[in-house]
Amino acid sequence: MTDRLTCILCPVGCELEAERTGDGLEVRGNQCEKGIGFAEEEILHPMRNLATSVPLRGTASQMVSVRLSGPVPRDMIFPILAEIAGLRPEPPIRRGRVLIPNVLGTGADVIATHTVI
Amino acid sequence: MDIDRKNARSGRADELYDVAVIGGGVVGCAVLRELSRYGLRLLLLERESDLAEGATKGNSGVIHAGFNVPPGTLKARANIAGLDLVYPLAHDLGVPHRKTGKLVVAFDDGERRRLEELMAQGVRNGTPDLAIIDEAEIRRLEPEARGRWALYSPHSGIISPYELTIALAECAHQNGARVVLEAGVTAVDVLPSGGFRLLTPRGAFLSRWVINSAGLFSDEVASLAGIDSYRVHPWRGEYLVTDKEAASALRTPVYPVPPRDDSFLGVHITPTLEGNILLGPSSEYVPDKRDAASTRPVMDRLKTEAFGLVPALRRFPFIHAYSGLRPKLTGPNGGPKLADFVIEESPLRPRWISLLGIESPGLTAAPAIARMVADMIGAKEDLIARPDFNPERPPVPHFAHLADAERARLAASDPHWGEMICRCEHVTRAEVLAALRNPFGARSLDAIKRRTRCGMGRCQGGFCTPRLVDLLEDEGVPVDRITKRGGASVLFQGRIKP
Amino acid sequence: MSARRPLPPERHDVVVIGGGPAGLAAAIGARRAGASRVLVLERDRRPGGILNQCVHDGFGLFLYRETISGPEYAERLTEDADRAGVRFQTGAMVLDLAADRTLCVNSRSGYSLLRADAVILAMGCRERTREMIGIPGTRPAGVFTAGSAQNLVNLQNIRIGASAVILGSGDIGLIMARRLTFEGTRVRGVFEVLPWPSGLERNVRQCLLDFGIPLELSSTVIEVRGRDRVSSVVVAKVDASLHPIPGTEHEVPCDALLLSVGLIPENELSKRAGIELSPLTGGALVDETLMTSVPGIFSCGNVLHIHDVADWASFEGLAAGKAAAEFAAGRAPSTSGEKVRLTPGSNVHYCLPQAVRLGTSGFELSFRVTAPVRDAWVEVRGCASGKPHFRKKFPRLVPSELQKITVDPPAAEDMEVSCHD
Repeated sequence: MTDRLTCILCPVGCELEAERTGDGLEVRGNQCEKGIGFAEEEILHPMRNLATSVPLRGTASQMVSVRLSGPVPRDMIFPILAEIAGLRPEPPIRRGRVLIPNVLGTGADVIATHTVI
Repeated sequence: MDIDRKNARSGRADELYDVAVIGGGVVGCAVLRELSRYGLRLLLLERESDLAEGATKGNSGVIHAGFNVPPGTLKARANIAGLDLVYPLAHDLGVPHRKTGKLVVAFDDGERRRLEELMAQGVRNGTPDLAIIDEAEIRRLEPEARGRWALYSPHSGIISPYELTIALAECAHQNGARVVLEAGVTAVDVLPSGGFRLLTPRGAFLSRWVINSAGLFSDEVASLAGIDSYRVHPWRGEYLVTDKEAASALRTPVYPVPPRDDSFLGVHITPTLEGNILLGPSSEYVPDKRDAASTRPVMDRLKTEAFGLVPALRRFPFIHAYSGLRPKLTGPNGGPKLADFVIEESPLRPRWISLLGIESPGLTAAPAIARMVADMIGAKEDLIARPDFNPERPPVPHFAHLADAERARLAASDPHWGEMICRCEHVTRAEVLAALRNPFGARSLDAIKRRTRCGMGRCQGGFCTPRLVDLLEDEGVPVDRITKRGGASVLFQGRIKP
Repeated sequence: MSARRPLPPERHDVVVIGGGPAGLAAAIGARRAGASRVLVLERDRRPGGILNQCVHDGFGLFLYRETISGPEYAERLTEDADRAGVRFQTGAMVLDLAADRTLCVNSRSGYSLLRADAVILAMGCRERTREMIGIPGTRPAGVFTAGSAQNLVNLQNIRIGASAVILGSGDIGLIMARRLTFEGTRVRGVFEVLPWPSGLERNVRQCLLDFGIPLELSSTVIEVRGRDRVSSVVVAKVDASLHPIPGTEHEVPCDALLLSVGLIPENELSKRAGIELSPLTGGALVDETLMTSVPGIFSCGNVLHIHDVADWASFEGLAAGKAAAEFAAGRAPSTSGEKVRLTPGSNVHYCLPQAVRLGTSGFELSFRVTAPVRDAWVEVRGCASGKPHFRKKFPRLVPSELQKITVDPPAAEDMEVSCHD
């Protein structure tokens, strides 16, 4: 099974082809070493950040937007969203405040991305 | 008896009126307003969530001067009589309008002869001041219009049909009439005493007289009363709407020579008071009375034909498309090629007045039809004029049209005038609130749109819709009940995280 | 920064219309260049512009050297502007602009006229609508532009439908595909009329491929169905001229249609001031100082040309702010200096600025290619002489990525910017 992806590490934007071989990955089309690492991560253990917004406590229409402090394994997206869905933070909230530390053990925090007074 | 049992179940007496108008389009509301001159208990029942939701909102908004209707018909009589009434009426009701004149353009000798026929017809009907003009004169009037000759009708004009309708209803309301929305008539009991009992989702209403002006559905309403002799057929007319910038290209409506079979007027180009230009309508029979779709072939054809008349229109983008459904008595296969208005008291049902097939020139004819209805009622009973009848309704202030000094005064007096909800049409929060607080309880987005122009601009609601959401909630419309035009046209499925 | 603060005094050195990524930066740029009274007029309740609803990350890589979300970028930039002494009026909408740089402003504090020694246009853009591209069918509830839907979802917690089709693979459409999927709306597919995606490939991966959302290229929506609410759309393949191919139609049930079919710079005010616009960008014609055809009125950000990276809109704003401050202080380069024209050539959709003062060296040129290309030369060639004044090789160019290059040789004649394999 061949994946095609464009490396985004530099403006060359090599078009890579990556084929799974047993536990590993065979990468073609890269013009430098970094492309292999990029493809490996992206295909074998993709990491993603995510962002959403949650209502402030006591309201259904006023929101605070949140994101993760760093990327997490892609298959954690929906479990983390479920954790976040129950948040109802109370103002005042400072931009950057940690709303859930180390969410589901991923090492990433859920942080508020703007200030609500 | 039956009625008493029903009353006992509901626990209250049915409300009793002298005249009930079924249908809140321009004709129904004109009738209501005319009858509100007299000491009558008046009711208007409208099926949809706002007035003007039928053919009234889907037409060109033209005040016709009466040269394109067959002489001797009720259409012609009502058109000419209406022409005299509609301008002063719009003035009294504070409804913007303009006597733009109209050009019907011809490109060859055959069409030129048709112009002469139209002119003769107009003269016979009583259209004032018609003239056939040449190309130079056409260019002088409208530099961007094409044609070798044109019939010029100086008394034709433009008006917003739904603004007029709402103003008529508001005037009637301030004179004591009652309007009930979302009250489609589902059953009619003909009472032995001679009145009618009208069943609706909003309750049952008794009335001595009924005016059936239910447009497309007037045949179905008639059947409810046992009057089965009518069939109303939907003929769809599609339109395209240009950006307001097109106003620089044209101010006078321009029509082609009407096709011979006279069942429609040809693809017109009609400026509006706000500056958008309407292209259309087309005309085709559709089997479904509610099929107001736009179609690719017609949209393309509208452009092709319109660009032949006013090539400059090519420069401007289109911002909207809509369709209206004409309530025609002519069917797709047969029936009278050119059916006349039906304005009659039913021989079968005394005091049931049918207004059917009121297509073009229905808008212009509406005040005249209303007078005819009043005369029909007056022939059978004394109509006592109300001493306190107020024929006027104050114009609705639109911030976008006010001068700087007035804007400053309003914004200083009330901060709601300082908050812009619609950025394309410059509609303020104050205007939206006033629209929502209308006496009839119309609260859909289209109801706001018709009263304020919010959502009619080039972004078609992209900017204002999010802003309307919390405004509506403050006014008692929760998020999951916001509709485009009532009923099932719900915009949202509630909150994501409740 | 509350909307209820009394109006600042009538005259300003520099007024910026729009407090988004470009406008905020322009105000900062003006202050840094010495303008004393710099006012930002923002029609929303708080500054930030479109950034406030872009909750996803990917912003700030160049301006702040870390990737952060839209709201964070907006707030940081607002704080920077506040620290730089910029004044704000929020909830203030400019209704009219004249060539003499008077503005009519409406806000909850009142309606007033302002005068400025220099004006910076930073009004951003609006979205192309279904009606503008003429999709036939009915007009039910459930048709949204992607940005409008983004506002409703992110800022108001509103569920816009249970299953959606997205027309257009621009970044907004892709981002919304992911956003809707996160919140339980099923995205049936993204349909793109061109043979390639309009948005960044990273977004195609992270918004569509990650969730198994189909991307159908060379496809479009040819009809909307549903009486009161969207019930389905009809999609079809298109040919090389982008016309639907008969026989390829199929119906996709859905209750929402999102349109991500292009952004249009919002230049209504610019037209009122008589500013000349480019039909290629939809924005003002500008010179190398980002000044428009009306002296003292400058333009930057999405209202000048649509950007894909907010940071670059901000950099453009900083430059416009500096130029505006210098104009306001009377230090502008002579406006009677002869200018040479730059026009787009082969495979270049547009280039900007469209005019450069004779002799200017080291000016920044922005451009987009028309079709994707690899290992291409971008040339700036004299129109009369045919001589290439400047060349640069690019391993990869796509229409969805705005390019900026610094052109070194001094401008000496009208030039054409072209792209060749």
